[in-house]
Amino acid sequence: MDDFFFSLLLAGISVGAVYALIALGLNLTFWTTKTLNFGQGSLMMLCAMLTVIIFSQGLAITLAVVGSLVVVAALGMFIERWTVRPALKSSGGSMGWVVSTLGFGIFLQGMAAKYFGSQAVAFPDVVFTAQDFVTVFGQYISLQYLVVLAVAVALILAFELFIRRTVWGQAVHAVSLDPELALVQGIPVRRLILGSFMLSSVLAGVAGVLIAQIGGTVDPAFGFDLVLLGFVAAVLGGMGSSLGALAGGLLVGVISKLVGGYVSTAAEHGIAFALLMLALAVRPQGLFGRPEVSKA
Amino acid sequence: MNALRSRLSAVVADWRVQMALVLALLLAAPLLSPGTLQIASFVLVAAIFAQSINLLTGLAGQISLGHAGFFGIGAYCTGILVKTYGLDVTLGVPAAVLLAGLTGWLLSFPANRVRDVYLAMMTLGFGMVFFEVVREWNELTGGTMGLPGVPSAALRTLTILGVKVDGLRYFQLVLLVTVGVILLVRNLTQSRIGRAFYAIQVSEVAAGSIGIPAGRTKQLAYALSGALAGLAGALYAHLVGYLGPESFALPRSIEVLVIAIVGGLGSIAGQVLSAVLFTFLPERLQVFAEWQFIAYGLILTFSLLVLPRGIGGLLFEPPRFIKPRALTRAARLRADATALRPDGGGTALEAKGITMRFGGLVAVDDVSLRLEPGRITALIGPNGSGKSTFVNVVTGIYRPAAGQVRFGGRDITGLPDHQMATAGVVRTFQDPRLVLHFTVRENLLLGAHRQLRHSGLAATLALPGAIAKEAAQLALVEAVLALSDLTEVADRPIDTLPYGTRRMAEVGRALLARPRVILLDEPAAGLSETEMDRLAQLIRDMRAMGIAILLIDHHMDFLAGLVDEVVVLDSGRMIYHGDIAGMRGDAQVIAAYLGDEATHA
Amino acid sequence: MKINRRSLALGAAALTLPGLVRAQSGTIKFGFTAALTGPFNEFGEGINRGAQIAVEECNKAGGINGRMVELAEVLDDQLVPDRAVQNLRRILDNREIVGLMCPSGSGPTLAIADMIQADGRPIINPQAQTPTIVYPNGPDKPPRPNLFSISIGNLVESEKLAAALSEFTRIGILHESTGYGVTGADLVRREIMRRKPAARVTAESYNQRAQDMTAQLVRVQRANAEAMLVIGLGADFAVIRRNMSRLNINLALFGAAGAVTVPYIEGAGDLVAGTRAVNHAAFGRRPMHGAAQKFVDLYRAKFGTDRWYGPDAANPLISLAGTVGSGYDCINLLIDAIRRANSTSAADLVRALDQTTDYEGATVSRISFTPQNHVALKLEDLGTYEMLKRGDRVVLELRN
Repeated sequence: MDDFFFSLLLAGISVGAVYALIALGLNLTFWTTKTLNFGQGSLMMLCAMLTVIIFSQGLAITLAVVGSLVVVAALGMFIERWTVRPALKSSGGSMGWVVSTLGFGIFLQGMAAKYFGSQAVAFPDVVFTAQDFVTVFGQYISLQYLVVLAVAVALILAFELFIRRTVWGQAVHAVSLDPELALVQGIPVRRLILGSFMLSSVLAGVAGVLIAQIGGTVDPAFGFDLVLLGFVAAVLGGMGSSLGALAGGLLVGVISKLVGGYVSTAAEHGIAFALLMLALAVRPQGLFGRPEVSKA
Repeated sequence: MNALRSRLSAVVADWRVQMALVLALLLAAPLLSPGTLQIASFVLVAAIFAQSINLLTGLAGQISLGHAGFFGIGAYCTGILVKTYGLDVTLGVPAAVLLAGLTGWLLSFPANRVRDVYLAMMTLGFGMVFFEVVREWNELTGGTMGLPGVPSAALRTLTILGVKVDGLRYFQLVLLVTVGVILLVRNLTQSRIGRAFYAIQVSEVAAGSIGIPAGRTKQLAYALSGALAGLAGALYAHLVGYLGPESFALPRSIEVLVIAIVGGLGSIAGQVLSAVLFTFLPERLQVFAEWQFIAYGLILTFSLLVLPRGIGGLLFEPPRFIKPRALTRAARLRADATALRPDGGGTALEAKGITMRFGGLVAVDDVSLRLEPGRITALIGPNGSGKSTFVNVVTGIYRPAAGQVRFGGRDITGLPDHQMATAGVVRTFQDPRLVLHFTVRENLLLGAHRQLRHSGLAATLALPGAIAKEAAQLALVEAVLALSDLTEVADRPIDTLPYGTRRMAEVGRALLARPRVILLDEPAAGLSETEMDRLAQLIRDMRAMGIAILLIDHHMDFLAGLVDEVVVLDSGRMIYHGDIAGMRGDAQVIAAYLGDEATHA
Repeated sequence: MKINRRSLALGAAALTLPGLVRAQSGTIKFGFTAALTGPFNEFGEGINRGAQIAVEECNKAGGINGRMVELAEVLDDQLVPDRAVQNLRRILDNREIVGLMCPSGSGPTLAIADMIQADGRPIINPQAQTPTIVYPNGPDKPPRPNLFSISIGNLVESEKLAAALSEFTRIGILHESTGYGVTGADLVRREIMRRKPAARVTAESYNQRAQDMTAQLVRVQRANAEAMLVIGLGADFAVIRRNMSRLNINLALFGAAGAVTVPYIEGAGDLVAGTRAVNHAAFGRRPMHGAAQKFVDLYRAKFGTDRWYGPDAANPLISLAGTVGSGYDCINLLIDAIRRANSTSAADLVRALDQTTDYEGATVSRISFTPQNHVALKLEDLGTYEMLKRGDRVVLELRN
């Protein structure tokens, strides 16, 4: 009984860390532009796919990962320049960028299917294998999952420190509050925004690689469902909050695993979205977010 | 291009052309192969589905990533009722429409709590939850195995009221339903409902200021949109005969969004063309299937960049929001602006001890004043002295931390803004908040929204009574246009007009909202000499009607000849209350205006 | 604007194309809709290739009584039910089409089944597994008159799986939450209970592409299962196998068709060793029977050792039978029926198909239909394979 609970809890924390990592990437662009990349899943997929392809050419896995991350970072810049910026410029609220980023994600997915094939391809082990685990209190904890958890926690701490302690963090904060004022104050708003999209894409890539090695395969539709759960994590924790991303991710992960384990595995997927709707209706600002002050 | 556009628009809007097209399709249908008829029926279903997005997103501005849910509810509802319970299609389809509409209405409650990206998420969540429920609810929906054998045209098992309906008859039937839907959506667009939808899309605050309740309006939009999507789903069910959960997953929500956006949100004809493009061509152009994802992606990514208003915006003129029939009728009527005089004389508004805090900052500190009918009170003070905040409190945008607003003997403190407007407390904004795509006339008519009390059904069916009421208000609009010297530009969209004209239009719109008290927030800012004279005259006319007026402004020359009394605010506190001559000599006022510069010097 | 005009022009060109095709009459025409592109094209493109090989083979031998055969309508539905319905309508509109093949999956096939039954022309199902496709009113009632199947139906597969699993008492089943997975799990459970009433079976579902199956696995573990069966796609099976390894769950592992596919074998890597899977026996036997060997050689000659065939020329992938071979057999069965009936009318063809007796197919060695039985695949056509690690390679050995 206890073993059962702990297995579910651990699995919940593990997948929760994955969701948190994705939510973190989504948060970055939310800070600077109040936008999210709805095509983030395709970046995860593309990074993992490219890693497989470069690796299959005989290059070292590290080189393959770094090369793919560079490509994905460049795509992040492209997304900012050609999908988000024009959409923000034209009036029409969030409609514009939701649609254009989603569209670019679908485009990438289509390209991957066309040129890399639509079948699942095997993903190489990057850090650990599925057999590597440590034993804590008689529980097997996969090292692959521990890596994701460690990366997520480390990044979240780094982001919190960055935002609170550094000049650039202050600048990001200023941009998030009022971009026009920030521009007047001499903050390079353009570069910050571009940077946030690059970094967000890199995070998506890192998440993609880490998750692909856990599942063992990657295909063009990879990442899409995961990003939906990343959204849930981000919203639950409060958009823009790093700690919230972690808390939201873990909450979604643990609740869905516990529901899956104790109630029904069939309900595992639906519960996350029911949770999303409930959270939005009851507390739209999330656990760690502050309510937006509506300006008249 | 523009000439072509206006000619095309005229052709499409001509009822003879419409009739001819529908008749041609009805008569040509027997010549088409069953396959072509079936795909044509799919096109029509897609067109209706796209209209539901058009209504919710195009008009009311609420994004939805989960519309497949409504579509699926409609499909499964009629599918189950007709197949499992043996009901007739004439009961199954309306039940489906009602259920989907009801679901839309229910979803509007949580949806109204969020906006923008959160709304996108919530609707996405709705679609996902629906999909999971359908998949797991085996007994009712057939679960993952789906619901086969729904009486349908494809299976030649469809009978409606005992009459056998084949693919041809079904197409003709769906065509007539589609025509009906299009006509109703057009009527709706050109009625008080359509204008209200569009107004809350542009600015909920501005809509509230003239008495349009954002919440209720959005509820209606969700319910109508859900019902339309449900109708499309129900027609789909009796077209294909098999319902499986995969048909109602996220890709369908995205597909209809693509159709609606490429068609051009707001454009009804554009939606239809786009439905043809996205349903007919992929089936015919099989060779390009592998490019489909890439093409969809590119279209979504760049359509708003390249064709911001879609096919509709490319080919046709922007939609108009007043029924031509009402305009013709209004032209025969005469109305006098004095009809806007408040009934039963004016009413005084009294603000007592108003205090407003933001965090630790006290924006308005214990301010009391009284606005009398037929008097103009100026509210002045340096930037940030709390003038606009005071107006926001009085008009219900903020709830004061302390104090009371009384109006006609009634405590109206903290009422929502649209109820304030309904009571007769109307305001304008520091930055004109008009609907930029509306013409001047449409903007002004929007002001008369709460005078148009005919039922939504009457508006949607464009019944004579509804048209008569619109015409009567349009005649009043005409009078106000004349009063504010806007007659010449009445049919120009606001975004093509200079700033000064917009200001006048906003004041005119507020006047049409039948104010007992009007609060004008810097109406003269940015106006030329002549425009200012015109505005002053308009304000005097309002005073003569017995309206109580609060006027925020900085131009002393403008105020001098106009106002009856002056209130001066500084750092949220009232430092002067009296006539304008007295103010010029008041030491505290001088210190407030010059003090900063004096101390900094 | 330019783009629009061009695509409209292309559309017009495409509209006139069917007319051109019809001009060269005299051929015997077949048609089908399948997932030729999109995420599930492994199967759709597979049967398309199989069909092409069958047509070429037939025409090279002089056709049917001198008339050439042709795949006149090959349409792509990407496994989307709506598209399958639209495509089938278009195929059926072509009155020259005399025989058809079902789409490459249960979803679209269920969506078109009632339609084709109403039409009456013969159709053969290569891959879709759900029993209601053939027997809409239950397996003991008559089949759809014009729909025949050579696929690994859920019924037979579950019997084979249950036979293998019955040596255990406590059994877990993990299945994908699709029609295929749900029905499969249900049938296997019932068959096990029939064979061994003392057995305890727990079934858990997962969504395709889920990245973590811990909840399902620990539920199976809590039930003290000695063996576990996975019914689903190969890629998901790989996720499950790796997840088991992370949870240190070791039990006898069985798989349905997904287990013999490349994504499982490559995705789970070394961990596949020991997995047992049920699939067509034909390609695992040595020597293969004649029709199987001939098909394999024809495929290799035309397409080479690609991802359907696998890298080893002497030993094609076991999955080649299901992905490509079944399409080859479907078209061959239609050709055979036309020859025997010496007619292309729907009624004659259905009658001829109903009389098919011991036709040697590549995937099913002896195909027979009767008016009551429209399912060709029998228990002996399936084999249980065990996956073994031989040096660097994974080998599938036929056990029984």
